[in-house]
Amino acid sequence: MDISLQINGKSERLSVEPGVTLLDALRERLDVTGPKKGCDRGQCGACTVHVGGRPVLACLTLAATVREPVTTVEGLASGDDLHPVQQAFVDQDALQCGFCTSGQIMSAVAAVEQDVPDVREFMSGNLCRCSAYPNIVAAVDQVRGADASV
Amino acid sequence: MTARLDSPLKVTGRARYGSDHNPPGMVFGYVVLSTVAHGEVTAMDVTAVRDAPGVLAVYTPFESLELHTPHNPIMGATWVPLQDTDVAYRGQPIGFVVAETFEQARDAASLVEVSYRERTPLTSLEDGLAAAEDAPPSMDGSPHTVTVLASGVESIEDALAASPVVVEATYTTAPQNHAAMEPHSAVAVWESGTLTVYSGNQGSDLQAASLAQALAEPLSAVHAVNPFVGGAFGGKGATSVPAFLAAAAARDLGRPVKAALTREQVFTATGTRAATVQRLALGAEKDGTLVALRHDSWSSTPMSRAFIEQTSHSTSREWYTTPNMVISQKMVPLNIPPTTFMRAPGEAPGSFALESAIDELAVELGMDPIELRRRNSSLAPPGKDLQWSSKHLDECFGIGAERFGWSQRSEGGRVDGDWLVGLGTATAMFPALRFPASVRVTLNADDTAEVATSGADPGTGLLSVLSLIGADSLDIAPERVTPRLGDSALPSGGMSGGSTATASAGSAIMVAAPEVIDELLTLAAAPGAPFEGAEVSYADGRVLATDGRSLTFGEVLRAVDRSSIAAVGSSAPGEEMSKHSFSSFGAQFCEVRVHRWTREVRVSRMLGVFDAGRIINEQPARSQLMGGMIWGVSAALHEGMEIEADGRLANGDFASYLIPVNADIPDVDVQFVQYPDTLHNPVGARGVGEIGIVGVAAAIANAVFNATGTRVRNIPIAIEDLLDE
Ligand code: FES
Ligand code: FES
Repeated sequence: MDISLQINGKSERLSVEPGVTLLDALRERLDVTGPKKGCDRGQCGACTVHVGGRPVLACLTLAATVREPVTTVEGLASGDDLHPVQQAFVDQDALQCGFCTSGQIMSAVAAVEQDVPDVREFMSGNLCRCSAYPNIVAAVDQVRGADASV
Repeated sequence: MTARLDSPLKVTGRARYGSDHNPPGMVFGYVVLSTVAHGEVTAMDVTAVRDAPGVLAVYTPFESLELHTPHNPIMGATWVPLQDTDVAYRGQPIGFVVAETFEQARDAASLVEVSYRERTPLTSLEDGLAAAEDAPPSMDGSPHTVTVLASGVESIEDALAASPVVVEATYTTAPQNHAAMEPHSAVAVWESGTLTVYSGNQGSDLQAASLAQALAEPLSAVHAVNPFVGGAFGGKGATSVPAFLAAAAARDLGRPVKAALTREQVFTATGTRAATVQRLALGAEKDGTLVALRHDSWSSTPMSRAFIEQTSHSTSREWYTTPNMVISQKMVPLNIPPTTFMRAPGEAPGSFALESAIDELAVELGMDPIELRRRNSSLAPPGKDLQWSSKHLDECFGIGAERFGWSQRSEGGRVDGDWLVGLGTATAMFPALRFPASVRVTLNADDTAEVATSGADPGTGLLSVLSLIGADSLDIAPERVTPRLGDSALPSGGMSGGSTATASAGSAIMVAAPEVIDELLTLAAAPGAPFEGAEVSYADGRVLATDGRSLTFGEVLRAVDRSSIAAVGSSAPGEEMSKHSFSSFGAQFCEVRVHRWTREVRVSRMLGVFDAGRIINEQPARSQLMGGMIWGVSAALHEGMEIEADGRLANGDFASYLIPVNADIPDVDVQFVQYPDTLHNPVGARGVGEIGIVGVAAAIANAVFNATGTRVRNIPIAIEDLLDE
């Protein structure tokens, strides 16, 4: 079927089978490879993107059902300026291999935007086998601290 | 402090891992796995598969892709799929379906009909203990059983019988999967007779060599590229099944092929950590002096007997001074997925047993466990003359005890509301190793430099280390050094494994840099060059003459019309091995809270103090040690593969194979004592990739004992282990 998607501010038209996930549409059809496939089952968070501003698991979302704009990790920075959450991940060394990182960052952006009461709980849908967890919490805190001081 | 140099690419999604490559014309492969654990494939009906939409090829043991078993010095032989019909474990690759799209390949693969002649599988380590075989010699060549006895002592049994205080216990550890977040995957492209493979692996040159052997192609025809690796931990040392299959199918079909294992497939079609059983007996004087140590180990192993988890050899062989010691290693071949190196292979499960036993001895003696460890600290491995090159373990314990508030610990722990709170500690050790490595150092006419090696950075921070050691050796700012790695076309960096990369590549840089500087000076003083005939030296990125003139190396190169000069340096373990014993050391501290009613165990504080030689880049080193310590929490409280009697893995996905999530992990304190170990290598670094995990599971079990009075001798520790009878 023919569908159209708004990806990081760009309109994309493509033809997919109804069973194609948003994750595979992004990665295999549109060459948007920031979102990663860690499990394809909604169990790891590596594929987290924003749809209509809310974090969703792209591996559990059928591409054909997506109506609202999609933001991936590639769509956060403006030009060479990193998004504050991306910068905080760099500053706090909140990654090692980096494979979970795009998903972590999309969840972390939501954690900051929603001002969640418990960062550790909120971020617990994103596995990190390198176990950068304390630094990921520090990165979210860095951004929230900066917001608070504005 | 230098940030991880590839962080900007990783936080923006621009870092391309293996399966992020999408060359034009690419098709997709999907691996088919066995559904029985032991037997033979008698037939595979693929008629429906061939008729399915988009299918281009189906490969099975009956219509196979030709692959030859490759060998390399570190990994030994690597198994290649589809070459025979034997099935040795459930979840073994037996087929490969290639189609135009991922969905078509996946859907078609589900249509394969397999017939088996089944045999009864052996899957239980416990049941197999009676029929255990002696293990082959360990990596350092020692036999399965090592005996050290004081003169006049007949046997270890005699030494134990004569010991005033004895503790004896059996410990078990669960099999584990590396579970790197990046599933094993590959994109293979053949172009004008050359294969390029994008696939996360711990050493691109080793991967290229194994693919060349497997495909019977010249090494020059294979190019492996992996600047980004989504976690490895030992599980990407060998070339993966999807890499072999994608490469062979791409050659067969004349189209680029992408293949990735699903998460469920990763659990059986790659490698795992073996299960272990360990029986320990410690004999001591009343003052805590060890007089006898016996450590018998059993490891599960696949039917190929390819890899043994060596627990006693990796711990009791070296950790404590004792006049009498016997260690042994046996293996139990089972119909289980392949075993392989996994973060601190041997040391991680071995330290759970040894460091739990030491704690049990401390309890028996009524002695502080740190004091007991100090009293028996080794100057050299028992029965060996070669002393540790640099050992500051006592200092680690001293700093740790102070920072962690060890003096507040009381026998029987303390109570905080409904929580029973306990503290535990353990020693960590990991051998300091080096592998052969070569690095090329290039000086460019634009006053930049490049440091390049084929090795991998699977999250270790090697990329930044190359730039820092390169900058140090060339006496210029790190910003002027471009590090490159993860490409088999670069000088052979070997394997990123065994906590060796910094020492190995770093030493090679320290050989290459002076060579390229020598060449620069020769050029600078040559006839027609700016310093013709002058006496010249090098400092600060500049060539200096005795008369005070100086030029940057870029200015010199431009003056002599060279765009760059380069030198390749190589290093390998050498005569240091005959002069000292080498290891890193650490003191692990954990606080646990056990809920009085639910018996849930939470780790509430952790501290590790490490003596790992010189630390090149503090923040990534700290992160890596912290990651290792969290792996220890995982081993102690979360992860374990549950293999059923028929060989099926009961928990082979991320919903049921538990690894810690963010909310499971407290703040983790990592401290270093820094004594550069230049007896081991010129860099003075001993590596931090593995030691972080070592000892943590024991420290947690010891803390659980302190909190509850219950000694748990198996990991992972489950709630059931802490319920009252
Ligand atoms: S890939 Fe979507 S949650 Fe794991
Ligand atoms: S950084 Fe490697 S999995 Fe999170």
